[in-house]
Amino acid sequence: MNHHTLQQMQPGMKASFQVRITEAMLDAFESLTGDANPLHKDKAYALAAGHPDRVAFGMLTASFFSTLIGMYLPGEKALFQGADISFHAPVYPGQTLTVEGEVGHVNEAFGQVEIRARIVNEAGAKVCKALLKVGVRV
Amino acid sequence: MSEAEKNQERLQAVFRDIFDDESIVIHRAMTAKDIEEWDSLTHINLVVATEKEFGLRFSLAEIKALKNVGEFQDLIERKLAQKPA
Repeated sequence: MNHHTLQQMQPGMKASFQVRITEAMLDAFESLTGDANPLHKDKAYALAAGHPDRVAFGMLTASFFSTLIGMYLPGEKALFQGADISFHAPVYPGQTLTVEGEVGHVNEAFGQVEIRARIVNEAGAKVCKALLKVGVRV
Repeated sequence: MSEAEKNQERLQAVFRDIFDDESIVIHRAMTAKDIEEWDSLTHINLVVATEKEFGLRFSLAEIKALKNVGEFQDLIERKLAQKPA
């Protein structure tokens, strides 16, 4: 875990990590949220809908923005304050995603940074994009 | 239109974007009590959006000293005047 302070969070600062999406993650997300939509749960249903496999929940993919700010950028002192998220391509179990973030605007008055974040798949295609608003605790 | 009037229009555009309300017309006596959604979180969003719009940085002390939108406009004008060309 990183421990960056507000002063250390400068525009252009970057962090990234990789995560492999598994069937167990999809099952856990359904158990946690109660979202039992068959597109995510039933492979035959997903195939009939034109997908090669169960489709990962968008918010499961986006949940790794929490990892990005809570563990890497800034890390320990993070306080998630907002996120404007868009989904650009489906994600399937077995894929390895790269989660990337770059510090944009730093507001010293309120101790908040904006992080431009994105998640790409193994082919380098963007699957998810977000503008994150993160408080940095003293 | 004077520079101050142009800046007021730019600030008004920021307000309209942050509060997602094209009907907002800012005025000097306006405060948080005049806009229902103006809470502590949208206050931060408003200050950050204004910093980005004008290329300025505000200190917490400067923000806490403001009593209304008029004083915010005055602060913006003072900082713009001090900003290197």
